[in-house]
Order: sequence, then C-alpha cells, then structure tokens
Amino acid sequence: MSVTAPPLARQRTGGLLVAGVFGVCAVAAAVAAGTFTAQESVPGIPMPGPFVTVGLPVVRVLLDLAAVAVVGLSLLPKLLGFDAPERTEPVLLRVRPLAVIAAWVWAICALLTIVLQTAELNPGGVPTFGMIAAYVGDVGTGQGLLFSAACALAAAGIGLMAVRFGEKVPAELRVIVALFGLLPIPVTGHAVNSVWHDPIMISMEIHVMGAAAWSGGLVATAAFLAPHRDLLAVALPRFSRLATLCLLLVGLSGLVTGLGTMALTPGVTLPDAIVTSHYGLLVVVKTALVAALVPLAAHIRFRLLPAVRQGRATALARWATAEVGVMGLAYGVAVAITRASIA
Amino acid sequence: MRRLLTVLLLACAAMGVVPPYAAQAHNVLVGSDPADGATLAAAPRQVTLVFDQAVRQGYARIEVTGADGASWADGDAVVAAERVSVKLKPLTGSGTYVVGYRILSADGHPVTGRLTFVLGTASTTTSAAPSPGTGTGAAGSDAGASSGAGASSGTGTGSAEAGAAAAEAAANGGAGMAVVWIVGALLLLAAGTVVALRRAAPSPGGSSPAGPSPAAPSGASTSGPAPGAGTSGPAPRAGTSGPAPGASVLGGAGDEGARP
Repeated sequence: MSVTAPPLARQRTGGLLVAGVFGVCAVAAAVAAGTFTAQESVPGIPMPGPFVTVGLPVVRVLLDLAAVAVVGLSLLPKLLGFDAPERTEPVLLRVRPLAVIAAWVWAICALLTIVLQTAELNPGGVPTFGMIAAYVGDVGTGQGLLFSAACALAAAGIGLMAVRFGEKVPAELRVIVALFGLLPIPVTGHAVNSVWHDPIMISMEIHVMGAAAWSGGLVATAAFLAPHRDLLAVALPRFSRLATLCLLLVGLSGLVTGLGTMALTPGVTLPDAIVTSHYGLLVVVKTALVAALVPLAAHIRFRLLPAVRQGRATALARWATAEVGVMGLAYGVAVAITRASIA
Repeated sequence: MRRLLTVLLLACAAMGVVPPYAAQAHNVLVGSDPADGATLAAAPRQVTLVFDQAVRQGYARIEVTGADGASWADGDAVVAAERVSVKLKPLTGSGTYVVGYRILSADGHPVTGRLTFVLGTASTTTSAAPSPGTGTGAAGSDAGASSGAGASSGTGTGSAEAGAAAAEAAANGGAGMAVVWIVGALLLLAAGTVVALRRAAPSPGGSSPAGPSPAAPSGASTSGPAPGAGTSGPAPRAGTSGPAPGASVLGGAGDEGARP
C-alpha cells in the first residue's frame, strides 16, 4: 500500500477526539436534561441529596457509553473482515484490550447505578448493604441492572480470551454477548399497563440495540479506522449498510415506543401531552436529534463513501465527529427520558 | 457463515430464556380523598391517594403540611394495592393543607407529587365525614373513581397488606429467581464460548484452551484491568499501557492467517 498511515500519536489524538466528543456531549446532555426533568421538591417529603440527583444521570450515561463502546469495539473485527490479518491485526491489537476495559466500566457503572438508585429511594444517608439487597430483591430495575452487570463481566471475560487468542474467539459471539447485556436496560425505563405492553417492550429492545450498534459502530470506525484509508475502504461500506438499517429501526421504534407509552398512560391525552409533559418534550427533542443525524449520515453515505471506496482522502473524521456528537446528545437525553414523568 | 448462524441461533435461544421481567408501568395518580383543590367543611381523618395500579410496598410516604409548616400526618403511609393512605391528627386550623407524596412506582421509579385541600372555617370539629365504617365492602368495586373512592380504604388493611406483599413477590419472582436466571444465562454463555472456541480452533490447540480457559482469563481479569477501570475510568492511557504484556503473548498472531 502506497498510503502510509499517520504517526501513532496523531491517530491517538484523532481517536480520542471522537470518543471525547461522544462522551462529553452525552454527559452534558444527561445533566442538562436531568436538571430539566428533576422532580419538584414536595413539602414534608425528604428528597435525595445533590450527590444522588447529579450522580445518578452521570453514572447512568457512563453505563450507556461503556455498553456502546463494547458493542462498537466488538463490531469492528466483523466490519474489517478476516481476510487480511496482516493489515487489520495492528488495529485490532489496540481495540481488544479497550473492549475489555469498557466492559469493566460497564459492569462497575451498572453496580454503582444500583447503589445510587437505592440511595434515591432512601434519602438522607448512605445506603446500607441491606437496603441495596432489598432494592435488588424488590424492584425489577435492580435485577435488570444486576443482569446487565453480569453480562458485562461475561463480555469482559470473552474479551480477555480475544486478547489472548485473537480472532479465534468469534467476533459474532462478542457482539451478541454485548447486545445480550443491553436487553435488561429497557426494564429500567417506562412501561405501560396494557395488552400492548409486550410489543412496546420489544420495540424498546430494538431501539436500544439498534442505537448501540449504530453509534458504537460509528465511534469505533471513526476513532480507529479514519487514518487507515485501506481499512476504511473495506469497513465503511459494510458499516454504512448496517447504519441505514439501524437508522430506520431506531427512528421507527423510538416513535412507536414514545407515542405508545404516552397514549397508553391513563390521564394523558395526545397530542397535548407532547408539549405539556416532560416525557413528551424529550420525545420531541430526541426526534429532532435523529432528524439532525439524517443529513450528516447522508453526507457520509452519498458524498464521502464513493471516495472512501476508492481509497481517496476525505473529511470523514470531521463529519463523523459531528455525527457522533449529535448521537452523544441523544444518549444523554435518553437517560433523562427513562426517568421523566409522563403525565 | 455457518458459524454466524450457529451463534445467532444460540442467541435467539438465550433471548427466549431471558428473564420474564414483568416491567410494570409507571404509576399515575388517578384520584384522591380529599380531592385535589377541594374545600372541605369537616376535617378529614385520613388522606387516601388512588393510583391507576398497585403501588409497591415499603417505600411510600405521605406528608400533610399545614399553612404554618406543621406536620399533620399521624404515622406512616399504608399501602393497600393501588391505594396509599395515611391517618391524620385532628386538624385544628382552617386554611390550606398540602399533601406531599412519594411512592415507588410499579416500574421502579420514584413518583412524587403534591395536592392541596382547603379546610373551611366552620369546621374545627373532627366530625368524621368520610366514616371508615362504610368502606370495607366497596373497596374493590370503584377503584378508578375518584370521588367517593377514598372513604373505604382505612379498615382491613392489615391482612390486605400481607396479601399484597405476597402477590407482589410472586409477580416479581424475587431475588432468588433473578439469581437463577443470571446463573443459567452465564452457563449458557460459557457453553457457547467453549463450543465456539472448539469450532474455531485448529485441532492441535483445540483441546487445551477449551477446558481451563473460560475460568482462567476471568480469574485473571479480576486482578488485571479491574482496578484500572475503576480508578481512572475510561481513560485509554490505562488501556494502552496495561495490556502490553498480553500483546506479547499474542506473538502467535501468525496462525491467525489460518483462520478461514
């Protein structure tokens, strides 16, 4: 290959920039949206302290980001293919340990979320171990987070095997274990009490997994492959097909879930609730963010992709960073929406 | 391709096994006694909130605050299915009272809110307008109705509470069930890993990594990257420096080429 990759130091900064934009946007949006939807203080009822009210959305969004990172880093070998290990191995050698670390962050954040949610329910003190055990025993959210943490640990174990044995550990398995850990996440959100409960839950599962594959794949591709035009020419067309599918799935399932949940909640009348309730406003914000993603994604898909296919230099890193930033904002809002009041 | 199908099939099987988390819905206040904004002639003996579905036991709180900030709730809130009630001390002053509540919604979210009622001037006597005696029979019938519904909930909550707790535990599966599900899912994942490794590995190395490997790396992992991940968060510095020895173990990356 006549194209020489830029020095490693510059690659690192580029990758750090993409990951940093994603993370900062997500945390900022989570804190902002969390403040917006904060429950009003009620006379006579003790409310959790600022450590919990700020810490909970931050830890929760870090959980999401770590899970997205695990999914994206696990997708990368699948996107690169297995035909040219002499070219892909240098990248994958850096990717695999990061996937393990991200899985550990995921597990730790899930456990921390359990502790913080227990503290939220028992204001005015540090939760004891008994309180946490009671919370996990009583509340489905605690069990879902525990299950998610267990899956994250399994992903870390499999990721370690991949560090040791390379691509002999199937990439599909790593992707599936990571997606498996995302399954209980919708349990921590809203649900409705009707016959439509199951379809809406399935819609939410599709939403969560599609969003993770889409944003994780983009972050991993932009952070690790942008400097390697030869690898990008292989991976980006594959990712582009996946992203198109994910865009449709995420948009559709998001609208179905959001509007369905509102329509089926007693005392909520559509379309008024879209602008009067916190939940409805956040649904509008998320729809707007997805709409903002479409032109960015379309530019990469229709303008940059042909050039990338031919191995020419493109401004992919910049466009991908912009898209990743919008995705981060959407993830931050998503954390708030799981806790916003519908009515 | 066949391997992909196998893994997908395995995943679908696992998804079928996924815990039947009955993710219940978000509770919504549908009624109360006294009603929000009502002006009462006589002081109520208790405040009852009616939600659209059963409230979780154990985390409910109701506080009634007078205009001067004094607390009037007498004892803790009592949960009976979708009704949460609290007894009141005899209200002495007329004026506006604020009822604040915080319950744990069925889907695990804390729900807080407030409503107010006004006690008229003529009524410093606690003449027991919502008499508790009328209640017991009508408890189930008019659950959604907000007007007279609250009067019924005071009596017989003792046994109802125990029954509700048992029903809730049964619907939930309890922590024991969660552990069973987690262990089952992990076993399934471990089996899938072993199978996938056996299939992927060429015959000479096949037997040795399959046996001890699922345990060994995870054992190493607790000491390895865990502290780094915990303390420094997602900083990639730790990643690049940490696994360097691991990368050297992978010197056998040459036989990656043999991979189909």
